[in-house]
Amino acid sequence: MEYKIKPLKTFNYDRPIIEKGYANQTLFIDISVPDISVKPVDEKMKDVFIGGKGFDLWLLWHSVKSTTQWTDPDNAICIASGPMGGTLLYPGSGKSIVTTISPLTGSVIDSNVGGYFGPYLKFSGFDALEVKGKTEKDMVILIDGIDEKVEILETSGLPDDSYDLSAILTEHFAQGKPRHISVVSTGPGAKNTRMGCLNFTWYDSKRKRARYKQAGRGGIGSVLSDKRIKAIVARWDTVKVDTNNPADKNALKTVGRKHSKEIVELDPKQNEMATIGTTHLVTIMNDFDLLPTHNFQYGKHPEAVNIGQEVYRPIFDPGYDGCWMGCTVACSHGVKDFVPLTGPYKGTKVFVDGPEYETIAGCGSNLGIFDPHTIVEMNFYCDAYGLDTISVGTSIAFAMECFEMGLIDETQTRGIHLSFGNRLAALEMVHQMAEGHGFGLIVGQGVRQMKSIFAKDYTADPHIMQDIGMEAKGLEFSEYMTKESLAQQGGYGLALKGPQHDEAWLIFLDMVHNFMPTFEQKAEALHWFPMFRTWFGLCGLCKLPWNDIVPEDNKDSLEPAKVMKHVEWYAEYYTAVTGKKTTPDEIIRMSESVYNFQRIFNLKMGFGQRDHDDIPYRAMGPVKPVEYESRHERYDKELVEKHHVDITGMDTEEKVRRLRKFRETLYEELKGAVYKRRGWTADGIPTLETVRRLGIDFPDVLELLKAHGIE
Amino acid sequence: MMFRVNGEQRSWREGMTVADLLRDIDDSHHYAVVRIDHKHVSRPYFEKTQIPDNSEVFLIPLIAGG
Repeated sequence: MEYKIKPLKTFNYDRPIIEKGYANQTLFIDISVPDISVKPVDEKMKDVFIGGKGFDLWLLWHSVKSTTQWTDPDNAICIASGPMGGTLLYPGSGKSIVTTISPLTGSVIDSNVGGYFGPYLKFSGFDALEVKGKTEKDMVILIDGIDEKVEILETSGLPDDSYDLSAILTEHFAQGKPRHISVVSTGPGAKNTRMGCLNFTWYDSKRKRARYKQAGRGGIGSVLSDKRIKAIVARWDTVKVDTNNPADKNALKTVGRKHSKEIVELDPKQNEMATIGTTHLVTIMNDFDLLPTHNFQYGKHPEAVNIGQEVYRPIFDPGYDGCWMGCTVACSHGVKDFVPLTGPYKGTKVFVDGPEYETIAGCGSNLGIFDPHTIVEMNFYCDAYGLDTISVGTSIAFAMECFEMGLIDETQTRGIHLSFGNRLAALEMVHQMAEGHGFGLIVGQGVRQMKSIFAKDYTADPHIMQDIGMEAKGLEFSEYMTKESLAQQGGYGLALKGPQHDEAWLIFLDMVHNFMPTFEQKAEALHWFPMFRTWFGLCGLCKLPWNDIVPEDNKDSLEPAKVMKHVEWYAEYYTAVTGKKTTPDEIIRMSESVYNFQRIFNLKMGFGQRDHDDIPYRAMGPVKPVEYESRHERYDKELVEKHHVDITGMDTEEKVRRLRKFRETLYEELKGAVYKRRGWTADGIPTLETVRRLGIDFPDVLELLKAHGIE
Repeated sequence: MMFRVNGEQRSWREGMTVADLLRDIDDSHHYAVVRIDHKHVSRPYFEKTQIPDNSEVFLIPLIAGG
């Protein structure tokens, strides 16, 4: 295909020297004008917001008004790494965080992603990128740190799908050195749905191809597509230890080698993530009744073994799969020479990045699909089309259950028999989302919109759909069964952006390891766990090295769930890079500032109060008698022993009603306990004392709080 | 007739299960998952899963997931 790329606007700049992990400036682009400029980063911004998601939120806060919609030109896409982003010596140090106003939630979303873009952006001279505006023609943005220029380029004839597009742009800008390029792009699915993802590339020198990782959640790709930005490209030279200019290189080497060495030694003894990624979780979750199947109705299935690590191990192409240079976790595995059976790539060999656990559960078990190759094909097309596999999976699962319940039928699905386990129907939904036609166009709007459309246009019962539609705050649930874990119900329901596991993955710690048996311990965990996880997103780090490979003596420590040995290493790491002496307690404080600021950002956008933390009942307990019956021993025992209910002669429907009352009450009590622990009001708003303690008492924050009666 | 647990040799006996092993070793940790060679075995299956002769067993200290 012949394509054209011509410069529309060029901005030449003098690249600053990186100082202790910071470029000390951010890049602003308004694609409408077009305008390119630089904004300074001051010490206050670094002290309060640290970097990464913190910088993104600060920039976005000033870009949008409380009335800004996701399609408005004012909505910005912000991308940042963090002070440790781009470090070679420490595992998992190449992450980027992306924020925008989400098409799914209407509020601020954040999504973290691997690939080379964030570090290349910083080394090119910018701690963060803020892109706003919209255009009528397709554009590519180039940030070239080698030639010290930023360009807005008008394009035509480039392919729509991310798979071809990222390969072409890598070659186009590489000047013979493809490892110097990272491309951020999306695909046609992003244009026609609200659940578009961004693909961030890293160049795989061994396989000689651009590989990609996804900033999946919340529809950020749909925002990029709506702006008519085909791609954002970063170009940077060879990365060395000195490129990030750490304050104490020797201290960095010492702590980095300790953690890297430990991973190399222990990962083969633990979950083998360097070989099989997160696929080990599939059968483990199934064994503990936590693997979502058939739209989160059940937690296990006898065929789950067909989509577990033992099946994917020989399918994955062996070799180094680190999405950042030198990472020893190296979990980004892929499938070579895969031949899709459907769609535009039918019959041709492609390389598929994935699947990871979430995709296997979302596009597999939760759809009643236990064929590993169908899941790989779903994975491939979601990536190429720029679609989030989690929202795609959870949305199709909801539509399938509605179909099986008769809430919708083949009239609405345009002749597709959308039952659980129908592999071709699931793939057809994905193709229709990309093409923007048929029932896929409706599914691509997400669960919240589907509930509304089905009720309004198809007279489906809104109450049952509210119970089984697995979304909260407008975002589709990621792939864990929370019915029996109160802590994970809070982990999803109280997450700032919506039910995504990266903020608080407590399900196993709660249900299986039993690290938080009391109500108070669950509330406490819902304070500290999100604070640890938030911090990685401030610094440009991956969360996996913290607690997915753990020291052998961790089990004997006072608080094994916190993996404090690693937290202490991270404090040393931060100190070595930034020169600011820190401690594990100070890590929590850093996160608290940004976390509370994001909660207040939700408030600004019209959310961020108690009722916005509601979750559908299926996340708390059995909606239908058949779900109750599948775990009747557990539920009967709970009613009798915990709630002292006489169930003699009681039918299942009555048991479902009685259990529901107890569980909904408990979740509301949990909300209150967590709000109190976090320093929020009973309505879930940070108090004046909290914002002052955390240094986020900016005038416009105080004004917003005052408008909600907090003064 | 030997097998290895976290790299250390142990005597193997016919019919030995994962639950038997965990009762034998001097370790009070409440393991949720072990790995026998490349196969994960979860707690619900500890009693019924036999350890093969000459196998490599790893006790997984924590499943942190997602």
